[in-house]
Amino acid sequence: MRIDVNQPRPAPAAAASAMSRRVVRVTESAPVRWALTAAALGFTFLFLLLPLASVVVQAFAAGLDTYLSALADPDTLSAIRLTVIVALIAVALNVVFGVAAAWCIARFTFRGRNLLVTLIDVPFSVSPVIAGMVQVLLFGLRGWLGPLLQQHDLRVVFALPGIVLATVFVTLPFVARELIPLMEEQGAEEEEAAISLGASGWQTFLRVTLPNLRWGLLYGVLLCNARAMGEFGAVSVVSGHIRGATNTMPLQVEILFNDYQIEAAFAVASLLALLALVTLGAKLLLEWRHASELAATRRR
Amino acid sequence: MTAEISIRGVTRRFGAQAALDGVDLDVRPGELLALLGPSGSGKTTLLRIIAGLEWPDSGTVMFGGQDAMERHVRERGVGFVFQHYALFRHMTVFENVAFGLRVRPRAQRLPRAEIARRVHTLLNLVQLDWLADRYPNQLSGGQRQRVALARALAIEPRVLLLDEPFGALDAKVRKELRRWLRSLHENVKVTSVFVTHDQEEALELADRVVVMANGRIEQVGTPAEVYCTPASAFVHEFLGDTNRLECRVEGGRALLADGTPIGRAEDIMGSAIAYVRPHDVTLAPAADGPGIIRHVHAVGPLAQLVVELGGVEIDVAIPADSWARLGAGRGDRVAVTVQAGTLFPQRATRGIPMQPLLPASPILSLVRNNTVYSGRPIHHPE
Repeated sequence: MRIDVNQPRPAPAAAASAMSRRVVRVTESAPVRWALTAAALGFTFLFLLLPLASVVVQAFAAGLDTYLSALADPDTLSAIRLTVIVALIAVALNVVFGVAAAWCIARFTFRGRNLLVTLIDVPFSVSPVIAGMVQVLLFGLRGWLGPLLQQHDLRVVFALPGIVLATVFVTLPFVARELIPLMEEQGAEEEEAAISLGASGWQTFLRVTLPNLRWGLLYGVLLCNARAMGEFGAVSVVSGHIRGATNTMPLQVEILFNDYQIEAAFAVASLLALLALVTLGAKLLLEWRHASELAATRRR
Repeated sequence: MTAEISIRGVTRRFGAQAALDGVDLDVRPGELLALLGPSGSGKTTLLRIIAGLEWPDSGTVMFGGQDAMERHVRERGVGFVFQHYALFRHMTVFENVAFGLRVRPRAQRLPRAEIARRVHTLLNLVQLDWLADRYPNQLSGGQRQRVALARALAIEPRVLLLDEPFGALDAKVRKELRRWLRSLHENVKVTSVFVTHDQEEALELADRVVVMANGRIEQVGTPAEVYCTPASAFVHEFLGDTNRLECRVEGGRALLADGTPIGRAEDIMGSAIAYVRPHDVTLAPAADGPGIIRHVHAVGPLAQLVVELGGVEIDVAIPADSWARLGAGRGDRVAVTVQAGTLFPQRATRGIPMQPLLPASPILSLVRNNTVYSGRPIHHPE
């Protein structure tokens, strides 16, 4: 090959564009990427969106009037009310327990600390039915504390307290699980700084510890709330299925379903799903509204 | 002069390990004191005990003659600057600095406008007023450090405690901030104690330096005292570059293992360790001299050399112009004079100064870098 010395060199811009054409992607090949994306979207559609959509479609299958009258049924209304009350109590108790447990575990080293961390996970690993059975075993008529409760005319099983206890048991780990890693990562330095600046224990907790935890706390509360409203197994055991009195929404759905009131069952189910969606929506909204602040509290 | 802080017999153990072992220390009013030591020397533990963030197993800490042990951290009036700043990440710079003023009991709390005025004064002092509305994660490391300082100063502390104040910064910012802190201290004059493992930082910044090792204080003194007259072998090794030469002292002379004399020392006999700083060694041309130049690194104002003397290698630093005048290169033989050094006899706690072999007369020291010993003419490299 003859090299022409006088041939003009390629202009720098041309050289640059020649370079840019050879962009090396440090990632999987195209078919793999497409396959993974398709799989993710496919599963989301098949197992999340489709069932949700079918619930809504079924609920409105017999028209809006049927839907509304199904919800206006006194038993259903009582189930909704009970579900909300139980969820409120469970979430409140969960926040108190979660913050206290996370604080103990993340801020102190003591004998049995690892045991406590493991114990917090027990509700996750134990079947909810067992959680319900435990309540019956403890507080039922023939349970350990049953006679004592009966003497004082207190009802736990087949009443609100039992349902609350079962729900609290099942949802116990949510807030603590969110907060423990967060607090461990954040460390105690900011709290020490607050105290050295003259803040009291409560001031430190309210002005420094808690604000730093608020996002973790929010996620914990949302997850806890969703689970508390949706819990079926544990509540089913302790509730006694007294219509209009001890039925929560999931139980009501089952009863209506077993009674062949398909439209009504799906109406209540759609409402339950809606509650979950509202919770998630609230989370998204808060994240969107406080994006910059969220970034500030996450990063150091 | 009464001490602002006096520490007596403070001991702190973590398991079997003594982090602090019977520490006595006085901090004078208005001084800037450095706690200097390698990691694990107990310096941070001591600082945290002064602050009240940690408690000693035994010993006392007095603040201006009063027992500080009876007082909780929040009552001690200490401004603590943490190594990683520990700024409240959910608060703006302004809120961070105002924190200490806002958490005061209602009766002592300043009016809102007065708090705002004080915060802005402090932010001006640290030259950060324009960043008042930012969040900590929007600041650079040096800016965060200054916010942390302003926050600590806001409560008008009687003592300012700084834990590795420049540890997390890069070299250039570190140097700037060091100067800045020095001038700030001259303006504010608050008694300050800072912890560092960087000897350069301690020597440049502090009025007095406390050198610590293994939970004990090795030496307390001005930067010049600890550098020039180190009280222990550890201090000598820790502060600045040094050569550690095993030798024995016979007939008033310190000899290397093979008998090469390196200096004079009175009143001691037997084996000892000689510490010699590289810039305390001078070289002279001598074709039959005892030293052999093994390595040369001659970029910059000092020529860094490795010279073999009596079977050991010695680091030597001489001014670049002296090196040029010496006219020697790698493998050349030279005469070696140790101008100063410190001898630590076995089991001795104090060092003994070592004199040069030939008594340094004014004339000799004038021509030290020329050719006195070998009688050769002054050689200038082309």
